[in-house]
Amino acid sequence: MKFKTSAFALTALLGSTAIAAAECADPIKVGVLHSLSGTMAISETTLKDTMELLIENQNAAGGLLGCEIEAVVVDPASDWPLFAEKARELLTVSEVDVIFGSWTSVSRKSALPVLEELNGLMFYPVQYEGEESSKNVFYTGAAPNQQAIPATDYLLEELGVEKFALLGTDYVYPRTTNNILESYLLSKGIAAEDIFVNYTPFGQSDWATIVADVVALGADGKQVGVISTINGDANIGFYKELAAAGISADDIPVVAFSVGEEELSGLDTSDLVGHLAAWNYFQSAESDANDAWVAAWKAKMGEDRVTNDPMEAHYIGFNMWVNAVNEAGTTDVDAVRTAMYGQEFPNLTGGTAVMLPNHHLAKPVLIGEITADGQFDIVSQTSEVPGDAWTDFLPESAVLMSDWETLGCGMYNTETETCVQLTSNY
Amino acid sequence: MLRLISLALALWLTVPVTAAAQPLQAILQTHQDEVLQPGRRTVSVVMDDLVASGLPQALPFLEAWRDREIVQRGSDGLFFRAASIGGTLTLLDLDTGNAIEEFDADDLTEARPNGGVRRAIGDALVQFQLSDPDITKRQTAVEAIARSMDSSQLAPLAASIASEPDPVLKETKTRLAGMLGALFADTAAARIAAIEALSGDLSVDVRAVLNTVLATDPQVAVTASEDANVARILAIGEDITAIEAYDRLIAANLAPALISGSDIRAALVENIANGAVGGVPVASLNTDGARAVAYDALSAQGIVPPRVTDAEQAAAIAAHTFYLQYSEADAAITDAADKALTAIEAKVALNQGIDLGLDALSLASIYFLAAIGLAITFGVMGVINMAHGEFIMMGAYTGFVVQQFVPDYTLSIIIALPLAFSITFGAGVAMERLVIRHLYHRPLETLLATFGISIALQQLAKNIFGTQARPLTSPEWLDGALVFNDVVAISYIRIAIFVLALLFLCLILFVLKRTRLGLEVRAVTQNPGMAASMGINPDRINMLTFGLGSGIAGIAGVAIGLYAKVTSEMGADYIVQSFMTVVVGGVGNVWGTLAGASLIGFLQKGIEWLNPSNTLAAQTYMILFIILFIQFRPKGIVALKGRAAAD
Amino acid sequence: MHRSFLSQNPSVLWFVATLAVFTVIVTLLSEVTGVDMISTSFVKTLGKTLCLCLVAIAMDVVWGYCGILSLGHFAFFGIGGYAIGMWLMYARTEGIVIESLSSQPIPPTPSEISDAIGNQIFGVVGSSEFPWIWAFADSLFLQLLMVIVVPGLLALVFGWLAFRSRVTGVYLSILTQAMTLALALYLFQNDSGLRGNNGLSGLQNVPGYEDVSQATISILFFIASAFALGAGYVFFAWIVSGKMGSVVKGIRDNEARVRFLGYHVESYKLFIFTVTAVVAGIAGALYYPQAGIINPGEVAPIASIYLAVWVAIGGRGRLYGAAIGAAFVSLLSSWFTGGGAPNINLGFYVIQWTDWWLVLLGLSFVAVTLFFPKGIGGLFDLLVRKQS
Repeated sequence: MKFKTSAFALTALLGSTAIAAAECADPIKVGVLHSLSGTMAISETTLKDTMELLIENQNAAGGLLGCEIEAVVVDPASDWPLFAEKARELLTVSEVDVIFGSWTSVSRKSALPVLEELNGLMFYPVQYEGEESSKNVFYTGAAPNQQAIPATDYLLEELGVEKFALLGTDYVYPRTTNNILESYLLSKGIAAEDIFVNYTPFGQSDWATIVADVVALGADGKQVGVISTINGDANIGFYKELAAAGISADDIPVVAFSVGEEELSGLDTSDLVGHLAAWNYFQSAESDANDAWVAAWKAKMGEDRVTNDPMEAHYIGFNMWVNAVNEAGTTDVDAVRTAMYGQEFPNLTGGTAVMLPNHHLAKPVLIGEITADGQFDIVSQTSEVPGDAWTDFLPESAVLMSDWETLGCGMYNTETETCVQLTSNY
Repeated sequence: MLRLISLALALWLTVPVTAAAQPLQAILQTHQDEVLQPGRRTVSVVMDDLVASGLPQALPFLEAWRDREIVQRGSDGLFFRAASIGGTLTLLDLDTGNAIEEFDADDLTEARPNGGVRRAIGDALVQFQLSDPDITKRQTAVEAIARSMDSSQLAPLAASIASEPDPVLKETKTRLAGMLGALFADTAAARIAAIEALSGDLSVDVRAVLNTVLATDPQVAVTASEDANVARILAIGEDITAIEAYDRLIAANLAPALISGSDIRAALVENIANGAVGGVPVASLNTDGARAVAYDALSAQGIVPPRVTDAEQAAAIAAHTFYLQYSEADAAITDAADKALTAIEAKVALNQGIDLGLDALSLASIYFLAAIGLAITFGVMGVINMAHGEFIMMGAYTGFVVQQFVPDYTLSIIIALPLAFSITFGAGVAMERLVIRHLYHRPLETLLATFGISIALQQLAKNIFGTQARPLTSPEWLDGALVFNDVVAISYIRIAIFVLALLFLCLILFVLKRTRLGLEVRAVTQNPGMAASMGINPDRINMLTFGLGSGIAGIAGVAIGLYAKVTSEMGADYIVQSFMTVVVGGVGNVWGTLAGASLIGFLQKGIEWLNPSNTLAAQTYMILFIILFIQFRPKGIVALKGRAAAD
Repeated sequence: MHRSFLSQNPSVLWFVATLAVFTVIVTLLSEVTGVDMISTSFVKTLGKTLCLCLVAIAMDVVWGYCGILSLGHFAFFGIGGYAIGMWLMYARTEGIVIESLSSQPIPPTPSEISDAIGNQIFGVVGSSEFPWIWAFADSLFLQLLMVIVVPGLLALVFGWLAFRSRVTGVYLSILTQAMTLALALYLFQNDSGLRGNNGLSGLQNVPGYEDVSQATISILFFIASAFALGAGYVFFAWIVSGKMGSVVKGIRDNEARVRFLGYHVESYKLFIFTVTAVVAGIAGALYYPQAGIINPGEVAPIASIYLAVWVAIGGRGRLYGAAIGAAFVSLLSSWFTGGGAPNINLGFYVIQWTDWWLVLLGLSFVAVTLFFPKGIGGLFDLLVRKQS
């Protein structure tokens, strides 16, 4: 898979065309709001490093508007109220021009009121449950229709799954995603009794009973598949139990939405070969831009480090923001937001990401099978799917749409043709 | 579809093929995309053409395709088989089998059949592999049949049984043929015989077969038709709710649709005229009652359909019979299957109970292992050690570090266990000497000081090992599970933890009851002053006891890391749980800890069983139960009596 | 002989006066007066710190004076936050919903309004039904009552059960820890009806005062927190002085002896436990509108342990000590994790305080318990004694 624009990506990435940085009174400040301690540090520290790498490269390429870019890194310590406090600090005390940050939905919801009050701008890089649209946030991760729905289609179409076990950690993303999937599956003719749902706490380690329950689902002769929204290190125990029970991907395929290269690096994957994950990016994607990106990452962080989907989201988000600032000629939030709509940037999997008026990206959906070396073998790649803030598979949300460019509303009821609210629902 | 392809493939092998019209490569070239990126639904296009060609090299191609050995050369789009011969990549021509001399490895694109496609190919290949000399191929074929049963497989499978040399595989084949017979045998009598033969088999696939025979459709009619094979008449209110029943009537066009609140609203909005609807002013339409009045006025004018009253709904439901009808028309077969399944399910329920019991036992042993060190430091010495969880973590990280240097997993575990013990023993002794010794008379402050140590250790682990979970891989002989039957199974790693827990129970009982050290420990616990005057050095005893408790935590850490994960926060997951285990069981007594762990393990599994979809709720109720339990039995299950019980 | 409790406790006047001066200075230097030397986000931090001081003195009364090491008082703090948060969320959403429904051709029915509010609040957690727990969410008065009643009732029932069975010392600590863990796990469930892990958010926006800037709202909350802390301090100082205080301290020092003297020890303990729980609830109700969000992680067992640590570092058995400890540790903590402290370059290794702060904090607990059992407050005692 090759594409013509890879040279452009390389330029942005490696900074081969250095522009002489003009004298600049104040550097442009980019806030990085990722937890560096606490439970989420495991995932978010990587994103802080990603931002530092991106900013280094951009500075090497001559900075932005003739100024140096300076990263303002703060640590909200996986403490959700601190996200609001630190966001306020970034916007009012450090006076940053843009924020890249957050991982969990609750941390985003915590920062949202502050961003909207102070008219800040944040790029949110993680796959999430949708059902939200804020004027001040660009969602560069996947909405459910860019990850969960295509993955479910894959199970239905390609693997012929007729009975589903939706296993998730008990928090908002799995709950909402599973709700959407349940009503999607019902609409696809799967009976309600063929959908088994289970929620476990964060860090669950005792999986024997749940795995046995899943195996027992096969008792009525239907092909069983598992859709896993299990979060973080609970996956390790889950996959270990699957392997111990001798369940191969041929018997009961598992497709995971929260398991990427980073999570697999904590496991021996030889028993998991063939199980699936759905993302918008895998390190194994074949493109020149990706090769360059992976090489740059490994050069900065070490050979054994891997790249993953939220990193690509920041990669696209940051580069789009840089281009939008260049286009607008200023870092003023309103001007940049206007310039963001329709921004195009080559993504790392080949193809082009486009920023839509609903603040989501159009990105391809990739399904990968786990390989023995902890990477993913891409078995399915769609064309670009436009992200949908409000899902079409829940009746209350189906009537809502988000269009900040022309309607100027993130929660527009198409039935009554009114804007429900201008702030987001947090 | 599958049946057609298999049939055609079978024909083609048995009928001598006339001269090949075109080589395999040409067929593949017409389907470049499907070969390179096949989907479960598109794969048949390629297979159809391959079958039609009748080429003998198609079979090895299909095998290679399934095994992901087919590559495409970018320069000319030709397909090759990529084989690794002697460690080097070799390209083989698909038609001739000759090796290609020169090629550019970067120019090759791998064909990627996904799991569904691999299965489809496997299904088509089944009949040729059933009698293959290679036993792994025969096993693959049998597995493929078991995964997707099809009537066309019955005859070839039955035919291959007689010539099967391997006794185990022969039995599997016979069993599989029985299942296929239950589904697809020609005569009803043969099917009933096959079904009866399945009775008593616990396995999931047998139940799957019987459930397939017993598949039902919900039906609704004024009266069930005579020739329908009715499984059950549904009682309204018990089997289905009245709302569901009425929905089925609507779906079957047997009753008018209900008018919902939003329908009424939409109808009213449609018919607003002069600030009023049906004589009701718009401004007063803010209650359901007023809207109903306005709607009824509209329906009286014939503008909208009338509302369905509750009485009409009830009458419509009462006038119809709701029942489940078997898809299988022959009642004799469904009766036989029903009988067989009922017998099996009773056995399955029993075995599931046993399985749950095993899970509970395993959970109890994990809790016990995590808590036993605490049972010594807290239970015997009365020292609250909040850093106990961090000792567990230190043990697990020791295991991880050892595996970095000793690649052999068995050896590394053998090294890691004593090493983890000595490291945490040392840490425990150091902590006792430096901190706890000074706080023996202030137990609540020990809690705070050790909590400080706990967060410091946790953060140190993060600084050293990073925040990612680290792999601790179990040796191969601990992989897999001990399978009693198709329902009852337990993984070896859990058995190992159970054995370890048992071992420690014996060890600690032995140390406390049968050794000089144990005698001294008990003496110091009961009366340090008196013990000291008898020539026992209480300082030394306290130090050793604390070290012992900490060392056991380290070993527990290795075991827990093997079965779950190694992170800097793993200790925190177990600390509260462990304290409760000790307190519920009764402080000062190893048997108490055992009782506490068993109670918590079994109770938690029991609550999970009652509410399988929410493990978190089970944990919540578990803790509420513990709180109440302690209120009514403050000294725990095994309470000490006499003077030792005094605080 | 009856001396006024103020003369028994000269520290009360000192504390209240210092607090008043501090409040006035912060208000004058804030954005509201136009001086803008103290940013709004720092005003919020200070306001929150005052609430933490309030819950810390409640903790000091129950632990430092009565000898009950409760590892669950943050649960009451959280419940107070949830109670007020429900009203804040409900009322704000109600405003939005009514405004958006008012543009419709026919007026909405009450059930339509409540459905729309439910959908707005619970849509993000995949539900739209109003759980029973929200029955009073539309009434500010009832929810304010809940701030007091729910923690009070929970403490009363829990305390009655525990003290009745003579659960004491370490066992009681573990039991209270189990209580807060159970509450946290319960709240973590989506089915709890309190939005699971997401909790209640957007609490900084006070319904009806959308036009008032956050700078003003935060200074008002800051003043309210200061007032609450001052009132709480006087109230607790009054309780721990006098005869009641003597009995309570007697229970701490030797429970059996006080019982033999004929006092009904359980009632005293229950009273202290419940009253401090109520004050913790009030502190929480003031804290979370300033934090902006409350979720189950807030009531996790570790929070209550930190509370005990603040009191220990500040110095047990002296109310001002608890307040100082809470303020000192929490402000220092945010200074270190906020990147305020300069990294130390050792040449071969750079000490980054975001990584090492917790290690330092943990070891300082150990140091304080071992070497300064009287905490920071103990230093004040030394000063006072030297002067006299």
